[in-house]
Amino acid sequence: MARFITLRLVHAAGIVFLVATLTFFLVHLSPGDPFTTSSQGTLIPAEVVEQQRRNFGMDQPVYVQYLRYLGNIVRGDFGYSFREHRPAAQAIAERVPNTLLLAATALVITFGVGVLVGALQAAKEGSPLDDALSLLTLTLYSMPVFWLGVMLLLLFGVQLGWLPVGGVIDEAVHPFLSPLGRLTDRLAHLVLPALTLGLMGAAATARFQRAEMLEVIGQDFVRTARAKGLTPRGVFLRHALRNALLPAVTLFGLSFPLLLSGSVLVETVFAWPGMGKLAVDAIHGRDYAVVTAVAIIAAVMVVLGNLLADLLYRVVDPRTRSAR
Amino acid sequence: MTRRAAPFLCGLSLAIAACAPEPTCTGNWCGTAVVVTAAEADVLLPVATSQDVGYAIGDLLFLKLADVGPAMSTMDGFEPELASEWAFEDERTIRFTLHPDARWHDGAPVTAEDVVFTFDVYRDSVVASTARPRVLTIAAVTARDSQTVVFRFQRPYQDMLFDAVYHMRVLPKHLLDTIPRAELASHPFGRGPIGNGPYRFVRWNAGQSIELEADSAFFLGRPGVRRVIWRFTADVNTAVAQFLAGEADVLNALPPDALERVRAEETLRAVPWTPSTIYGYVLFNQRDPEDHDRPHPLFGDRAVREAIAMAADRETMVRAVFGEDGIVAKGPMSPSQWISHEEYEQVPFDTAGARRKLAVLGWRDTDGDGLLDRDGAALQFDLLVPNTSTARRRSAEILQEQLRRAGISMTISLLDFGAFMERGQAHNFDAWFGSYGGDPSPASIAELWVSGAGYNYGTYANPTFDAAVRRAQAALDVATARTRWRRAVTLINGDVPAIWIYGSAPNAGVHARFEGVSVRPDNFVATLWRWHVPATRMIDRDRYSE
Repeated sequence: MARFITLRLVHAAGIVFLVATLTFFLVHLSPGDPFTTSSQGTLIPAEVVEQQRRNFGMDQPVYVQYLRYLGNIVRGDFGYSFREHRPAAQAIAERVPNTLLLAATALVITFGVGVLVGALQAAKEGSPLDDALSLLTLTLYSMPVFWLGVMLLLLFGVQLGWLPVGGVIDEAVHPFLSPLGRLTDRLAHLVLPALTLGLMGAAATARFQRAEMLEVIGQDFVRTARAKGLTPRGVFLRHALRNALLPAVTLFGLSFPLLLSGSVLVETVFAWPGMGKLAVDAIHGRDYAVVTAVAIIAAVMVVLGNLLADLLYRVVDPRTRSAR
Repeated sequence: MTRRAAPFLCGLSLAIAACAPEPTCTGNWCGTAVVVTAAEADVLLPVATSQDVGYAIGDLLFLKLADVGPAMSTMDGFEPELASEWAFEDERTIRFTLHPDARWHDGAPVTAEDVVFTFDVYRDSVVASTARPRVLTIAAVTARDSQTVVFRFQRPYQDMLFDAVYHMRVLPKHLLDTIPRAELASHPFGRGPIGNGPYRFVRWNAGQSIELEADSAFFLGRPGVRRVIWRFTADVNTAVAQFLAGEADVLNALPPDALERVRAEETLRAVPWTPSTIYGYVLFNQRDPEDHDRPHPLFGDRAVREAIAMAADRETMVRAVFGEDGIVAKGPMSPSQWISHEEYEQVPFDTAGARRKLAVLGWRDTDGDGLLDRDGAALQFDLLVPNTSTARRRSAEILQEQLRRAGISMTISLLDFGAFMERGQAHNFDAWFGSYGGDPSPASIAELWVSGAGYNYGTYANPTFDAAVRRAQAALDVATARTRWRRAVTLINGDVPAIWIYGSAPNAGVHARFEGVSVRPDNFVATLWRWHVPATRMIDRDRYSE
């Protein structure tokens, strides 16, 4: 196990290095620069732009900037945010908790709702309920995530006024609420973005889980369990569902990159102050340090998520341990 | 949480009491304004910011010595802020007397030394303030005593008073003078400033909001709105949705498609800017983008530029894009600039005339495809448009159709803003749909249009026009300045270096409970501290207080 983890960590370091390098050159090769594109229409004097470029070492050759960038990353320094006038790490650190909260809630919806719906469909295979849920999950799975977000926002936020339209809290009243009121305020702001992000994943999980359940139900050990006189409910829950859940662990690992890329759109639509929204702002403003730092952190989260999924799989399925 | 959301959510949580705290603020000085914008401030240190929203918030925290009046004239009508009075001592020296009650939010008095320090910071090349070029005409700023400060200029010119007061927000020397200049922008002061304006800084939730609180002892009068919360979204549609849902009270510019809905809502109001400092123009590149030593094959010829401008129905275009609030630009200036109040000769809209003029130049439809050609080459060019601007994209599409009717083929290239600017700076384009948002001074004409100017991306050059601009800038009385600016604008309009398209006059969205609302062209919240909410119209968020 130790050798396996070491090997995977070495692979992970290689992937992160490649992402860091690729992102650096992509953002530096893209047209425009942070000092001329930072304003919204007001032109910045050329001498001011030149001075800013000197201040931040951007007048140096790209390879010099790259080597300095790599050296800084090794020391844990992600560079300076031109837009926020402070270290990029500081800007990101303030946003990471919001993204993690959104992603974690979406993950719960993705697997909680997805597994339940998939299992229910398998249990009622061929029924009108199964057909209706198949249609619903396929429809959700086919929708662009930003479109679903905008529709939910317009319906529940603007038209019905049931839920807040954006942000993580209502700053105008939040400081004056009781602790329970503050919690409610936070939860209310979380509902729409988490649903938007989680429902797409839940639809995919449900379809996957349904197929997996139907395959497991047809296997010998399930037939044996029935022959031993177990109740249909016991067979379904203790034997079929438990075994059908194994592949979901793989899905868990694969869902990390989808959640992170989805959060970029969802955070933009719902003004959710997380890494995704920061990344969008940074890309528009050519804030190089923030763009590269977000890419590196996202890469680390994805490779660690996949490593975690592999480890979980080895824990829950002993066959994978003996196969190596 | 919206008012409509509150009962629903409280019911869900069975915490109705917890969700409905007792509001405590009563009287005339309550009121909370939630301003929503689709961009976040970069820093709240005026000398370091380059974002419009940074300036807007900064203007509520830091005062200038004086500001332009409602007429936006840069020659007269200034209104006092930190300076209670001023006078010219000679033709290039202005003396300002500071208001004796002006205070920093930490209680220290605002002194002449603060003004001297501020000038030194703004002109420091290491700080690299975007306003630096505008204050370099000031030779020296000295403190005569603690309340008197004297500005000495390199030479007498029209905008001396304007340049002395408009570009610099006075900074606290006692808090900033020990910070190395290179570290000023990144110093924590920029994210937690202590100012001297009507509002003091409370908190900044990164990526989400900035909260300001009224300084009840503000020396120019107690602000009518007690709290201002700036909320940031990454997307203008989300900002509009928050405004329509009642979660925000102020939106700087309503998109045309939201305007009707706002006008139909009793609780919301559209307040026109009067008008904004922006103008949009289709710029012709007068040099060949592939070889800058050669004239552009089409636009090097003034007659071709004029014929293309004749084919543009700007009135129809502006009405279609901006509705009733659109303004057709008269020249290289925004409608808010004082020189735009004059009448200027325009290239008339005349499609048939454009065709005739082009025919004289040899452009005819020889193959019957509806497009003009000459020597086997079609009359066509490409227009660069930034994908961030809906107004420019829509205007370009209408222009494309108008030109097609005159037999001119125009393609549109939508570019990311960075790429758009880079192509402009490199003179690598046929035509470029620019938009300039400057300050109220006509000096911006020199920055964009005189020969060799940094922003003269179309490489327009006419020595007679350059001389006319220099003479206009040197005029020290209003009547002479008007006459000379008229001459300069007439010259450039005659040369047709661009088609002047629009001067936008957007509408701000404001909740109807606010009274005393006005919107200034250069900063939509400059007068916010004078707004107020009558006690009878307050909603919950107006009444909450610490």
